[in-house]
Amino acid sequence: MDKVADALPGSQWSPFEMNPNLPPERADIVIIGGGVIGWSIAYWLKKKERVRDGVKVIVVEKDPTYSQASTVLSAGGIRQQFSLTENIQLSLASADFMRNINEHLGVLNQEPVDLQFNHSGYLFVANESVAHIMEENYSTQRFAGAKVSLLSPVQLKEKFPWINTEDVALASYGLENEGWFDPWTLLNAFRQKAISMGVIQSIGEVTGFNCTLNRMDTVDGETVDVKRIKHVNVRMPNSREYQPVECAIVVNAAGAFSAKLVDMMGIGTGPKDTLSGMALPVEPRKRFIYVFNCPDGPGLDCPFLVDYSGIYFRREGLGGNYITGTSPEEDAEPDVSNLDVDHEFFQEKIWPSLAHRVPAFESLKVTSAWAGYYDYNTFDQNAILGIHPLAQNMFFATGFSGHGLQQSPAAGRAVAELILDGSYQTLDLKGLGFQRIMAKEPLLEKNIV
Amino acid sequence: MLKILIPTLFLLPTTWLTSSKWLWPTALTQSMLIALGSITWLNNTTDTGWTALNSYIGTDPLSTPLLVLSCWLLPLMLLASQNHLSSEPMNRQRMYITLLATLQLFLILAFGATEMIMFYVMFEATLIPTLLVITRWGNQTERLNAGTYFLFYTLAGSLPLLVALLMLQNNTGTLSLLIIPYAKPLLLMPFGSKIWWAACMIAFLVKMPLYGMHLWLPKAHVEAPVAGSMVLAAVLLKLGGYGMMRLMIVLDPLSKEMVYPFIVLALWGVIMTGSICLRQTDLKSLIAYSSVSHMGLVAGGILIQTPWGFTGALILMIAHGLASSALFCLANTNYERTHSRTMLLARGLQIALPLMTTWWFIASLANLALPPLPNLMGELMILTSLFNWSAWTLILTGIGTLITAAYSLYMFLMSQRGPLPQHMLALPPSYTREHLLMALHLIPLLLIILKPALLWGWFAC
Repeated sequence: MDKVADALPGSQWSPFEMNPNLPPERADIVIIGGGVIGWSIAYWLKKKERVRDGVKVIVVEKDPTYSQASTVLSAGGIRQQFSLTENIQLSLASADFMRNINEHLGVLNQEPVDLQFNHSGYLFVANESVAHIMEENYSTQRFAGAKVSLLSPVQLKEKFPWINTEDVALASYGLENEGWFDPWTLLNAFRQKAISMGVIQSIGEVTGFNCTLNRMDTVDGETVDVKRIKHVNVRMPNSREYQPVECAIVVNAAGAFSAKLVDMMGIGTGPKDTLSGMALPVEPRKRFIYVFNCPDGPGLDCPFLVDYSGIYFRREGLGGNYITGTSPEEDAEPDVSNLDVDHEFFQEKIWPSLAHRVPAFESLKVTSAWAGYYDYNTFDQNAILGIHPLAQNMFFATGFSGHGLQQSPAAGRAVAELILDGSYQTLDLKGLGFQRIMAKEPLLEKNIV
Repeated sequence: MLKILIPTLFLLPTTWLTSSKWLWPTALTQSMLIALGSITWLNNTTDTGWTALNSYIGTDPLSTPLLVLSCWLLPLMLLASQNHLSSEPMNRQRMYITLLATLQLFLILAFGATEMIMFYVMFEATLIPTLLVITRWGNQTERLNAGTYFLFYTLAGSLPLLVALLMLQNNTGTLSLLIIPYAKPLLLMPFGSKIWWAACMIAFLVKMPLYGMHLWLPKAHVEAPVAGSMVLAAVLLKLGGYGMMRLMIVLDPLSKEMVYPFIVLALWGVIMTGSICLRQTDLKSLIAYSSVSHMGLVAGGILIQTPWGFTGALILMIAHGLASSALFCLANTNYERTHSRTMLLARGLQIALPLMTTWWFIASLANLALPPLPNLMGELMILTSLFNWSAWTLILTGIGTLITAAYSLYMFLMSQRGPLPQHMLALPPSYTREHLLMALHLIPLLLIILKPALLWGWFAC
């Protein structure tokens, strides 16, 4: 009798049992990657759609537990202390978004979003040799609107007595809009708001694309294949069943695994130094974060300190816990096939510099540690936003190399503007497009680390 | 009549016996020859008006324009479907053409039928190939729902029609369209005759569709593949109008009171569906609702039962058939390139495909009834005949015309003007096939300007 009732018009019954978790057969925009960038873009697309259901958006995420996603394994810091104006603007806009997060992401009848945004600021500490870079960056940052101040060693000691200012020449301290927050809350806030606005979430892995091919000759006489994605094949977890989702636009927000999608399309396989050989220069890089407890440590008045030697640490909670980490040397990159933590790394590379900068940290106890991937842009360690010339309808929002989380609200808005308005409206981020990779002009950050 | 019917019937062996290399050119040529042959029907030579007459089928000035439109549409449907079917297995392609050809056959028999039961059977028969095309070749899962709505709305409306026709046969002894105008009016008990009137009309009002019973149309049009949408918009809706015009003669004295609510619904539908068009995000959905809007006006024109009303309705049916089908073809050219029907994602096309913009422009202008196109002639004649009946209808039809212009221009500006999105910088350019398709739609429309008297029906005096 159930079947009869189900077979009436308007019901979902069909004689062929279909997996109810399959994504819909078609969508307008498929966002591959359900991290904070993917959901931010989904949210902004829905925000800008002008009428209800103006665009149909699907976010495809392969791992609903987010066990390897960079978003939730991040240290969660946000700073405007960059040297590139684009980066500063992105972070500033994102901080503004997060300060008013309930206006943007509040869902009716749900609890308000509490990002646990600690506005403790970033403190960059420089020695003699890199102090001039810090000063240049300071003027760029002030010009772009960031509220940063330079501190001399004396002022530094006065403000933070627990710092060892022996070899410090200059310090730069963010006074506003800098600090850290809970990445999981931001991700969930974006996700819930986007779903409430009609974005469809699909749990599955993208295994391939159906594209149409246009063979063209460039001005240099090179033959390139320009591809247009027609279908995205989404495979269900633990199954061979897949659904080809017909779509107009694909957004690659897959973070550390973005290059796999580009390989699936066959882009970047040509000879180097040609258009067809221009692959996506994003690869996963493993970074460790160690949690330690030090009862005599800096206490509540602890900013996110980044030392010129490369180590960083910040307060975590109110119980005397701190998290720390550093970037390994170029030639000593850890193996990315798993997220196992190398505890020796802490002993050898981090603790000495940590103890040098903060004498109280000479006695500490590491309570836990984890590892996460950076979606590392091997070209210039900055975001890649925009379309690849050989993939006509794939937008990239990847390669953030460690500052994706903090730039996610503004980057999401930028990509949504690119898709729906055809060009950037609020922030001009043309410099972060593929042009720089094609022209081989890296947009490097001039950091002190 | 046979010289068109037999070639249409033999389109079926043609599709199954031709080699795969020559399938589409052959089917296209044959259907084009049939279409060109059908134009000779427009020459109504006899005094009585009924030409090509035999016991079962005949043509008269009312059915000829619609017959020519249905025959003309088959090559256009084949042209439009060629691209999206090219990736399918051969048997499916042959099946598709077979379905379209059978649909054509049933339509010719329906419009040419002289006996009402034959018309009824053919009316129902056209549902089957259309249903198959929508549910088997449509794009989304919603197509099953769309097919169900389409089938059951029409069937539920037409069952009473069968009963009513049988009653008529019983009472007057004949259902021949040549004799029926001279038969006595049906005398039943007062309420019974009202039910009988409604039973006659409901099937066609659902098919037109009238505003309250139009829910099947947006679904069916949107989920159908391009040829399905074309034939639905251009011809199948007109089956309803044609049936109404034929039966109006029989229903005479009753109609004076009975039409009142339906005219009101029709005119209100013009405004409401026009307003819905302004809020649509899906391009095909917009064109579907615009079809409902235009057909509301046609329904008003027919229900008013004046010569000008009928003439206006017939002209508007033909003109709308060509213009709406053209718009669906244009929407399909968009869809084949971007794989999305969302208007927000396919903007600024004038920069990418400027020649297609010409066709968009002409089709949108046809939709908003620009003079001297026949769309305007139809609308004006219906407007004036309604105004003659009641001055207040002018408010409704006037606002309706305004909203029609608004959404037609909205559709044009949204798709052609504005910034070109980043993902559409390198679209495949317009194919000659697409240009041919649009030309074959719009050139007849433009040519009708020169002699609209061909399409005036019985009142071409």
